[in-house]
Amino acid sequence: MRKAISKEKITLTITVGIACFSLVFIMSMQFKIVNQTDITAIENMRETELRTELANWKAKYEETDLKYQETQTKIEEYKQTKQSNDETSKVVDAELEQVNMTLGKTDVEGEGIEVILREKETENIGKINADDLLIIINALKLAGAEAISINDERIINMSDIFTINNAFIKVNGQRILAPYVIKAIGNQVYLESALLGNGGYVDELKKLGHDVAIEKIDNIKILKYNDDIKIKYMN
Amino acid sequence: MKNKKTISIVLGIMCFALTLGICVQIKTVRGSNSIVKQNYEENGLRAEVLKYKEKYDNRYKELEKAEEQLEKERQNSTENNTELEQKEEEIKQGNKMIGLTEVTGPGVIITLSDSKKASNTSLNVSDLLIHDGDVISVINELKNAGAEAISINDQRLVPTSSIICGGNIIEINGEKTGTPFVIKAIGLPELLSGLSRPGGYLEILKEASIEADLKTSNNITIPKYTGVITYKYAENSK
Repeated sequence: MRKAISKEKITLTITVGIACFSLVFIMSMQFKIVNQTDITAIENMRETELRTELANWKAKYEETDLKYQETQTKIEEYKQTKQSNDETSKVVDAELEQVNMTLGKTDVEGEGIEVILREKETENIGKINADDLLIIINALKLAGAEAISINDERIINMSDIFTINNAFIKVNGQRILAPYVIKAIGNQVYLESALLGNGGYVDELKKLGHDVAIEKIDNIKILKYNDDIKIKYMN
Repeated sequence: MKNKKTISIVLGIMCFALTLGICVQIKTVRGSNSIVKQNYEENGLRAEVLKYKEKYDNRYKELEKAEEQLEKERQNSTENNTELEQKEEEIKQGNKMIGLTEVTGPGVIITLSDSKKASNTSLNVSDLLIHDGDVISVINELKNAGAEAISINDQRLVPTSSIICGGNIIEINGEKTGTPFVIKAIGLPELLSGLSRPGGYLEILKEASIEADLKTSNNITIPKYTGVITYKYAENSK
Protein backbone atom coordinates (compact mmCIF):
# COMPACT_ATOMS: atom_id res chain seq x y z
CA MET A 1 0.00 0.00 0.00
CA ARG A 2 2.77 2.39 0.97
CA LYS A 3 4.71 1.53 -2.15
CA ALA A 4 1.71 2.00 -4.41
CA ILE A 5 1.13 5.50 -3.10
CA SER A 6 4.72 6.56 -3.58
CA LYS A 7 4.67 5.18 -7.16
CA GLU A 8 1.59 7.19 -7.98
CA LYS A 9 3.15 10.26 -6.43
CA ILE A 10 6.33 9.89 -8.47
CA THR A 11 4.45 9.63 -11.75
CA LEU A 12 2.41 12.68 -10.87
CA THR A 13 5.48 14.69 -9.91
CA ILE A 14 7.29 13.72 -13.09
CA THR A 15 4.32 14.58 -15.30
CA VAL A 16 3.80 17.93 -13.62
CA GLY A 17 7.55 18.55 -13.77
CA ILE A 18 7.65 17.91 -17.51
CA ALA A 19 4.60 20.06 -18.08
CA CYS A 20 6.08 22.92 -16.06
CA PHE A 21 9.42 22.60 -17.81
CA SER A 22 7.93 22.73 -21.30
CA LEU A 23 5.75 25.68 -20.36
CA VAL A 24 8.72 27.63 -19.01
CA PHE A 25 10.73 26.70 -22.11
CA ILE A 26 8.07 27.98 -24.47
CA MET A 27 7.71 31.14 -22.45
CA SER A 28 11.40 31.94 -22.54
CA MET A 29 11.45 31.36 -26.29
CA GLN A 30 8.57 33.72 -26.71
CA PHE A 31 10.25 36.36 -24.59
CA LYS A 32 13.30 36.21 -26.79
CA ILE A 33 11.31 36.77 -29.98
CA VAL A 34 9.39 39.63 -28.45
CA ASN A 35 12.63 41.22 -27.31
CA GLN A 36 14.10 41.08 -30.77
CA THR A 37 11.08 42.50 -32.51
CA ASP A 38 10.96 45.40 -30.10
CA ILE A 39 14.36 46.68 -31.24
CA THR A 40 13.54 46.42 -34.91
CA ALA A 41 10.18 48.02 -34.36
CA ILE A 42 11.92 51.28 -33.49
CA GLU A 43 14.01 51.21 -36.62
CA ASN A 44 10.94 50.34 -38.56
CA MET A 45 9.41 53.75 -38.00
CA ARG A 46 11.67 55.11 -40.69
CA GLU A 47 10.38 53.11 -43.61
CA THR A 48 8.72 55.98 -45.46
CA GLU A 49 11.77 58.08 -44.79
CA LEU A 50 13.93 55.39 -46.37
CA ARG A 51 11.72 55.33 -49.42
CA THR A 52 12.11 59.08 -49.99
CA GLU A 53 15.83 58.76 -49.39
CA LEU A 54 16.07 56.01 -51.98
CA ALA A 55 14.12 58.08 -54.50
CA ASN A 56 16.45 61.04 -53.81
CA TRP A 57 19.64 59.08 -54.35
CA LYS A 58 18.23 57.44 -57.46
CA ALA A 59 17.35 60.83 -58.94
CA LYS A 60 20.76 62.23 -57.99
CA TYR A 61 22.51 59.26 -59.55
CA GLU A 62 20.52 59.49 -62.76
CA GLU A 63 21.16 63.23 -63.07
CA THR A 64 24.86 62.78 -62.49
CA ASP A 65 25.01 59.90 -64.92
CA LEU A 66 23.31 61.99 -67.60
CA LYS A 67 25.72 64.86 -67.02
CA TYR A 68 28.63 62.43 -67.15
CA GLN A 69 27.49 61.06 -70.51
CA GLU A 70 27.10 64.61 -71.82
CA THR A 71 30.58 65.58 -70.66
CA GLN A 72 32.08 62.48 -72.26
CA THR A 73 30.35 63.32 -75.54
CA LYS A 74 31.75 66.84 -75.43
CA ILE A 75 35.27 65.55 -74.78
CA GLU A 76 34.93 63.24 -77.79
CA GLU A 77 33.65 66.09 -79.92
CA TYR A 78 36.61 68.26 -79.02
CA LYS A 79 38.99 65.43 -79.78
CA GLN A 80 37.44 64.78 -83.17
CA THR A 81 37.27 68.39 -84.25
CA LYS A 82 40.72 69.34 -83.09
CA GLN A 83 42.07 69.67 -86.62
CA SER A 84 39.51 72.13 -87.89
CA ASN A 85 38.80 75.50 -86.30
CA ASP A 86 35.42 75.66 -88.00
CA GLU A 87 34.33 72.40 -86.46
CA THR A 88 35.74 73.26 -83.05
CA SER A 89 33.89 76.53 -83.18
CA LYS A 90 30.57 74.68 -83.41
CA VAL A 91 31.35 72.64 -80.32
CA VAL A 92 32.48 75.69 -78.37
CA ASP A 93 29.37 77.61 -79.42
CA ALA A 94 27.11 74.79 -78.29
CA GLU A 95 28.83 74.67 -74.93
CA LEU A 96 28.72 78.43 -74.54
CA GLU A 97 25.02 78.44 -75.33
CA GLN A 98 24.39 75.91 -72.57
CA VAL A 99 26.34 78.02 -70.09
CA ASN A 100 24.44 81.13 -71.13
CA MET A 101 21.15 79.29 -70.74
CA THR A 102 21.94 78.46 -67.11
CA LEU A 103 23.12 82.02 -66.52
CA GLY A 104 19.80 83.30 -67.86
CA LYS A 105 21.29 85.02 -70.88
CA THR A 106 19.07 83.25 -73.43
CA ASP A 107 15.33 83.23 -74.08
CA VAL A 108 13.91 79.89 -73.03
CA GLU A 109 10.60 78.12 -73.48
CA GLY A 110 8.83 75.01 -72.28
CA GLU A 111 5.90 73.81 -70.19
CA GLY A 112 5.21 75.76 -67.05
CA ILE A 113 2.86 78.02 -65.15
CA GLU A 114 1.97 81.68 -65.03
CA VAL A 115 0.98 83.27 -61.74
CA ILE A 116 -0.80 86.61 -61.84
CA LEU A 117 -0.95 88.56 -58.59
CA ARG A 118 -3.41 91.45 -58.47
CA GLU A 119 -3.39 93.60 -55.37
CA LYS A 120 -6.66 94.49 -53.72
CA GLU A 121 -5.95 98.07 -52.80
CA THR A 122 -9.40 98.99 -51.53
CA GLU A 123 -9.37 96.81 -48.46
CA ASN A 124 -7.19 97.40 -45.48
CA ILE A 125 -4.63 94.76 -46.37
CA GLY A 126 -0.96 95.25 -46.98
CA LYS A 127 0.40 95.61 -50.48
CA ILE A 128 2.16 92.69 -52.09
CA ASN A 129 5.81 93.36 -51.36
CA ALA A 130 9.27 92.07 -52.21
CA ASP A 131 9.20 89.48 -49.41
CA ASP A 132 6.05 87.91 -50.85
CA LEU A 133 7.73 87.59 -54.25
CA LEU A 134 10.92 86.19 -52.69
CA ILE A 135 8.94 83.48 -50.91
CA ILE A 136 7.09 82.54 -54.11
CA ILE A 137 10.35 82.40 -56.09
CA ASN A 138 11.91 80.18 -53.42
CA ALA A 139 8.90 77.85 -53.46
CA LEU A 140 9.02 77.60 -57.25
CA LYS A 141 12.74 76.78 -57.19
CA LEU A 142 12.08 74.13 -54.55
CA ALA A 143 9.51 72.61 -56.93
CA GLY A 144 12.18 72.38 -59.62
CA ALA A 145 11.57 75.53 -61.67
CA GLU A 146 14.21 75.73 -64.41
CA ALA A 147 13.64 79.37 -65.34
CA ILE A 148 11.65 82.14 -63.65
CA SER A 149 10.75 85.71 -64.47
CA ILE A 150 8.70 88.43 -62.78
CA ASN A 151 7.11 90.93 -65.16
CA ASP A 152 9.64 89.74 -67.75
CA GLU A 153 12.61 90.45 -65.45
CA ARG A 154 14.54 87.17 -65.56
CA ILE A 155 15.52 85.78 -62.16
CA ILE A 156 19.22 84.91 -62.37
CA ASN A 157 21.61 83.68 -59.70
CA MET A 158 22.35 87.19 -58.47
CA SER A 159 18.87 88.71 -58.79
CA ASP A 160 17.59 90.80 -55.89
CA ILE A 161 14.03 91.91 -55.14
CA PHE A 162 13.32 94.97 -53.02
CA THR A 163 10.39 97.11 -51.98
CA ILE A 164 11.34 100.77 -52.38
CA ASN A 165 9.71 103.29 -50.04
CA ASN A 166 6.72 101.02 -49.61
CA ALA A 167 5.65 102.18 -53.05
CA PHE A 168 7.04 99.91 -55.72
CA ILE A 169 9.18 96.84 -56.23
CA LYS A 170 12.54 96.58 -57.94
CA VAL A 171 13.75 93.33 -59.51
CA ASN A 172 17.32 93.29 -60.85
CA GLY A 173 17.33 97.02 -60.10
CA GLN A 174 14.42 97.57 -62.51
CA ARG A 175 11.15 99.02 -61.29
CA ILE A 176 8.13 96.74 -61.80
CA LEU A 177 4.47 97.51 -61.20
CA ALA A 178 1.40 95.47 -60.23
CA PRO A 179 -0.12 93.23 -61.47
CA TYR A 180 2.85 90.94 -60.96
CA VAL A 181 3.16 88.20 -63.54
CA ILE A 182 5.45 85.37 -62.48
CA LYS A 183 6.38 82.86 -65.16
CA ALA A 184 8.13 79.58 -64.38
CA ILE A 185 9.20 76.66 -66.56
CA GLY A 186 9.13 73.20 -65.03
CA ASN A 187 6.75 70.38 -64.12
CA GLN A 188 3.34 72.05 -64.07
CA VAL A 189 1.91 69.84 -61.34
CA TYR A 190 4.87 70.34 -59.01
CA LEU A 191 5.01 74.07 -59.62
CA GLU A 192 1.32 74.57 -59.02
CA SER A 193 1.15 72.43 -55.91
CA ALA A 194 4.13 74.29 -54.44
CA LEU A 195 1.98 77.41 -54.30
CA LEU A 196 -1.45 75.97 -53.59
CA GLY A 197 -2.69 73.70 -50.87
CA ASN A 198 -1.88 73.60 -47.21
CA GLY A 199 0.65 76.27 -46.35
CA GLY A 200 1.02 77.24 -50.01
CA TYR A 201 1.88 80.88 -50.25
CA VAL A 202 -0.63 81.75 -52.94
CA ASP A 203 -3.36 80.45 -50.66
CA GLU A 204 -2.09 82.76 -47.92
CA LEU A 205 -2.23 85.73 -50.27
CA LYS A 206 -5.75 84.76 -51.29
CA LYS A 207 -6.79 84.55 -47.66
CA LEU A 208 -5.51 88.10 -47.22
CA GLY A 209 -7.84 89.11 -50.00
CA HIS A 210 -5.51 89.45 -52.97
CA ASP A 211 -6.59 88.20 -56.34
CA VAL A 212 -4.31 85.41 -57.55
CA ALA A 213 -4.67 83.35 -60.69
CA ILE A 214 -2.49 80.40 -61.72
CA GLU A 215 -2.58 79.17 -65.27
CA LYS A 216 -0.85 76.11 -66.73
CA ILE A 217 0.71 76.92 -70.07
CA ASP A 218 2.14 74.25 -72.35
CA ASN A 219 4.65 76.48 -74.03
CA ILE A 220 5.61 79.46 -71.96
CA LYS A 221 8.39 81.78 -73.08
CA ILE A 222 10.71 83.43 -70.59
CA LEU A 223 12.87 86.30 -71.74
CA LYS A 224 16.60 86.52 -71.14
CA TYR A 225 18.38 88.73 -68.64
CA ASN A 226 19.13 91.87 -70.53
CA ASP A 227 22.18 93.29 -68.83
CA ASP A 228 25.73 92.07 -68.87
CA ILE A 229 26.72 89.96 -65.92
CA LYS A 230 30.12 91.04 -64.74
CA ILE A 231 32.42 89.72 -62.09
CA LYS A 232 35.13 91.80 -60.50
CA TYR A 233 36.10 90.25 -57.21
CA MET A 234 36.08 86.49 -57.49
CA ASN A 235 38.82 84.38 -58.97
CA MET B 1 -6.02 13.76 1.47
CA LYS B 2 -5.82 17.35 2.61
CA ASN B 3 -2.26 17.47 1.40
CA LYS B 4 -3.25 16.28 -2.08
CA LYS B 5 -5.92 18.93 -2.34
CA THR B 6 -3.50 21.74 -1.53
CA ILE B 7 -1.00 20.41 -4.06
CA SER B 8 -3.58 20.21 -6.84
CA ILE B 9 -4.82 23.73 -6.08
CA VAL B 10 -1.28 25.13 -6.13
CA LEU B 11 -0.50 23.28 -9.34
CA GLY B 12 -3.76 24.43 -10.87
CA ILE B 13 -2.99 28.07 -10.11
CA MET B 14 0.54 27.71 -11.43
CA CYS B 15 -0.62 26.12 -14.69
CA PHE B 16 -3.26 28.80 -15.14
CA ALA B 17 -0.72 31.56 -14.63
CA LEU B 18 1.71 29.97 -17.08
CA THR B 19 -0.97 29.48 -19.73
CA LEU B 20 -2.10 33.04 -19.30
CA GLY B 21 1.49 34.22 -19.75
CA ILE B 22 1.86 32.21 -22.94
CA CYS B 23 -1.39 33.56 -24.31
CA VAL B 24 -0.26 37.13 -23.75
CA GLN B 25 3.09 36.44 -25.38
CA ILE B 26 1.59 34.80 -28.43
CA LYS B 27 -0.69 37.77 -28.90
CA THR B 28 2.23 40.18 -28.72
CA VAL B 29 4.27 38.19 -31.19
CA ARG B 30 1.37 37.96 -33.58
CA GLY B 31 0.96 41.72 -33.41
CA SER B 32 4.60 42.33 -34.19
CA ASN B 33 4.74 39.69 -36.89
CA SER B 34 3.70 42.16 -39.56
CA ILE B 35 6.43 44.47 -38.31
CA VAL B 36 8.97 41.71 -38.70
CA LYS B 37 7.89 41.21 -42.28
CA GLN B 38 8.09 44.92 -42.97
CA ASN B 39 11.48 44.93 -41.40
CA TYR B 40 12.87 42.57 -43.98
CA GLU B 41 11.61 44.91 -46.64
CA GLU B 42 13.21 47.80 -44.84
CA ASN B 43 16.57 46.11 -44.67
CA GLY B 44 16.31 45.64 -48.40
CA LEU B 45 15.48 49.30 -48.78
CA ARG B 46 18.40 50.32 -46.65
CA ALA B 47 20.74 48.19 -48.70
CA GLU B 48 19.39 49.74 -51.86
CA VAL B 49 19.80 53.26 -50.53
CA LEU B 50 23.42 52.46 -49.77
CA LYS B 51 23.86 50.93 -53.20
CA TYR B 52 22.57 54.02 -54.95
CA LYS B 53 24.55 56.34 -52.73
CA GLU B 54 27.70 54.45 -53.65
CA LYS B 55 26.76 54.45 -57.33
CA TYR B 56 26.20 58.19 -57.11
CA ASP B 57 29.50 58.79 -55.30
CA ASN B 58 31.43 56.84 -57.93
CA ARG B 59 29.67 58.52 -60.82
CA TYR B 60 30.23 61.93 -59.28
CA LYS B 61 33.96 61.29 -58.96
CA GLU B 62 34.05 60.19 -62.59
CA LEU B 63 32.12 63.28 -63.59
CA GLU B 64 34.61 65.51 -61.80
CA LYS B 65 37.46 63.85 -63.66
CA ALA B 66 35.61 64.14 -66.96
CA GLU B 67 34.99 67.83 -66.34
CA GLU B 68 38.69 68.44 -65.75
CA GLN B 69 39.47 66.56 -68.92
CA LEU B 70 36.87 68.54 -70.83
CA GLU B 71 38.44 71.79 -69.69
CA LYS B 72 41.84 70.60 -70.92
CA GLU B 73 40.46 69.44 -74.25
CA ARG B 74 38.63 72.70 -74.72
CA GLN B 75 41.78 74.64 -73.94
CA ASN B 76 43.81 72.50 -76.34
CA SER B 77 41.32 72.88 -79.14
CA THR B 78 40.98 76.62 -78.81
CA GLU B 79 44.50 77.81 -78.05
CA ASN B 80 45.51 78.62 -81.63
CA ASN B 81 42.57 80.87 -82.42
CA THR B 82 41.89 84.13 -80.59
CA GLU B 83 38.16 84.11 -81.27
CA LEU B 84 37.79 80.61 -79.90
CA GLU B 85 40.05 81.44 -76.99
CA GLN B 86 37.72 84.28 -76.08
CA LYS B 87 34.73 81.97 -76.11
CA GLU B 88 36.62 79.46 -73.99
CA GLU B 89 37.26 82.20 -71.45
CA GLU B 90 33.57 83.11 -71.54
CA ILE B 91 32.61 79.52 -70.75
CA LYS B 92 35.02 79.49 -67.82
CA GLN B 93 33.72 82.77 -66.45
CA GLY B 94 30.15 81.59 -66.95
CA ASN B 95 30.75 78.42 -64.99
CA LYS B 96 32.22 80.54 -62.19
CA MET B 97 29.12 82.72 -62.08
CA ILE B 98 26.80 79.73 -62.14
CA GLY B 99 28.70 78.18 -59.27
CA LEU B 100 30.29 75.19 -60.98
CA THR B 101 33.86 76.04 -59.94
CA GLU B 102 35.47 76.94 -56.63
CA VAL B 103 36.15 80.66 -56.29
CA THR B 104 38.15 82.91 -53.97
CA GLY B 105 38.11 86.63 -53.31
CA PRO B 106 37.41 89.35 -50.76
CA GLY B 107 34.07 89.50 -49.00
CA VAL B 108 32.21 88.90 -45.77
CA ILE B 109 31.37 85.98 -43.51
CA ILE B 110 28.07 86.21 -41.66
CA THR B 111 27.26 83.84 -38.82
CA LEU B 112 23.67 83.46 -37.69
CA SER B 113 22.72 81.40 -34.68
CA ASP B 114 19.52 80.96 -32.74
CA SER B 115 19.11 83.15 -29.68
CA LYS B 116 21.00 82.04 -26.58
CA LYS B 117 18.27 83.58 -24.47
CA ALA B 118 16.44 81.03 -22.36
CA SER B 119 13.22 80.13 -24.08
CA ASN B 120 11.18 81.05 -20.99
CA THR B 121 12.09 84.73 -21.36
CA SER B 122 9.99 85.01 -24.49
CA LEU B 123 6.33 84.32 -24.88
CA ASN B 124 6.92 82.94 -28.34
CA VAL B 125 9.86 80.57 -28.69
CA SER B 126 9.59 80.90 -32.46
CA ASP B 127 10.84 84.49 -32.14
CA LEU B 128 14.20 83.22 -30.94
CA LEU B 129 14.78 80.98 -33.95
CA ILE B 130 16.03 81.77 -37.44
CA HIS B 131 13.43 81.23 -40.16
CA ASP B 132 13.80 80.69 -43.90
CA GLY B 133 12.48 84.19 -44.41
CA ASP B 134 15.42 85.58 -42.42
CA VAL B 135 18.00 83.64 -44.41
CA ILE B 136 16.31 84.53 -47.71
CA SER B 137 16.32 88.22 -46.72
CA VAL B 138 20.01 88.17 -45.77
CA ILE B 139 20.85 86.51 -49.12
CA ASN B 140 18.68 89.03 -50.99
CA GLU B 141 20.50 91.92 -49.29
CA LEU B 142 23.88 90.42 -50.13
CA LYS B 143 22.88 90.12 -53.78
CA ASN B 144 21.71 93.72 -53.70
CA ALA B 145 25.11 94.72 -52.32
CA GLY B 146 26.75 93.10 -55.32
CA ALA B 147 27.72 89.67 -54.02
CA GLU B 148 29.18 87.59 -56.85
CA ALA B 149 29.17 84.20 -55.11
CA ILE B 150 27.36 83.06 -51.97
CA SER B 151 27.41 79.89 -49.90
CA ILE B 152 25.47 78.83 -46.83
CA ASN B 153 27.24 76.24 -44.68
CA ASP B 154 29.45 75.55 -47.71
CA GLN B 155 26.49 74.88 -50.01
CA ARG B 156 27.02 77.10 -53.04
CA LEU B 157 23.98 79.04 -54.20
CA VAL B 158 23.27 78.33 -57.87
CA PRO B 159 20.38 79.58 -60.03
CA THR B 160 18.21 76.65 -58.96
CA SER B 161 19.00 76.74 -55.22
CA SER B 162 16.15 76.99 -52.76
CA ILE B 163 16.21 77.39 -49.02
CA ILE B 164 14.06 75.53 -46.51
CA CYS B 165 14.62 76.18 -42.86
CA GLY B 166 12.87 74.49 -39.99
CA GLY B 167 13.97 75.14 -36.43
CA ASN B 168 17.72 74.73 -36.35
CA ILE B 169 17.97 72.72 -39.56
CA ILE B 170 18.48 74.35 -42.94
CA GLU B 171 18.16 72.58 -46.26
CA ILE B 172 19.96 74.02 -49.27
CA ASN B 173 20.44 72.18 -52.56
CA GLY B 174 18.73 69.25 -50.88
CA GLU B 175 21.45 68.97 -48.20
CA LYS B 176 20.53 69.39 -44.55
CA THR B 177 22.81 71.23 -42.11
CA GLY B 178 22.33 72.69 -38.66
CA THR B 179 22.91 75.99 -36.86
CA PRO B 180 24.99 78.12 -36.78
CA PHE B 181 24.44 79.20 -40.37
CA VAL B 182 27.66 80.47 -41.90
CA ILE B 183 26.98 82.60 -44.95
CA LYS B 184 29.98 83.50 -47.10
CA ALA B 185 29.81 86.09 -49.86
CA ILE B 186 32.43 87.37 -52.28
CA GLY B 187 32.23 90.98 -53.39
CA LEU B 188 33.33 94.44 -52.29
CA PRO B 189 33.60 94.04 -48.49
CA GLU B 190 32.67 97.70 -47.83
CA LEU B 191 29.38 97.26 -49.67
CA LEU B 192 28.60 93.78 -48.35
CA SER B 193 29.20 94.84 -44.74
CA GLY B 194 26.39 97.37 -45.21
CA LEU B 195 24.16 94.60 -43.88
CA SER B 196 25.24 95.41 -40.35
CA ARG B 197 24.55 99.15 -40.71
CA PRO B 198 21.86 100.62 -38.45
CA GLY B 199 18.56 99.60 -40.01
CA GLY B 200 20.27 96.84 -41.99
CA TYR B 201 18.84 93.36 -41.85
CA LEU B 202 21.39 92.06 -39.35
CA GLU B 203 20.38 94.80 -36.92
CA ILE B 204 16.76 93.78 -37.31
CA LEU B 205 17.71 90.18 -36.52
CA LYS B 206 19.73 91.26 -33.51
CA GLU B 207 16.76 93.18 -32.17
CA ALA B 208 14.86 89.91 -32.41
CA SER B 209 17.75 88.64 -30.23
CA ILE B 210 19.15 86.33 -32.89
CA GLU B 211 22.92 86.15 -32.81
CA ALA B 212 24.23 87.76 -35.97
CA ASP B 213 27.89 88.41 -36.60
CA LEU B 214 29.60 89.90 -39.67
CA LYS B 215 33.31 89.72 -40.44
CA THR B 216 35.10 91.03 -43.51
CA SER B 217 37.94 89.08 -45.04
CA ASN B 218 40.26 89.52 -47.98
CA ASN B 219 40.46 85.89 -48.77
CA ILE B 220 37.28 83.88 -48.80
CA THR B 221 36.98 80.54 -50.55
CA ILE B 222 33.56 79.43 -51.69
CA PRO B 223 33.25 75.81 -52.82
CA LYS B 224 31.63 74.74 -56.04
CA TYR B 225 28.12 73.34 -56.31
CA THR B 226 28.23 69.60 -55.67
CA GLY B 227 25.21 68.74 -57.76
CA VAL B 228 24.38 69.00 -61.42
CA ILE B 229 22.06 71.38 -63.23
CA THR B 230 20.03 69.71 -65.96
CA TYR B 231 17.04 70.81 -67.98
CA LYS B 232 14.02 68.61 -68.55
CA TYR B 233 11.45 71.22 -69.50
CA ALA B 234 13.23 74.36 -70.65
CA GLU B 235 14.74 74.78 -74.08
CA ASN B 236 16.55 77.67 -75.70
CA SER B 237 14.15 79.58 -77.95
CA LYS B 238 14.99 79.42 -81.60
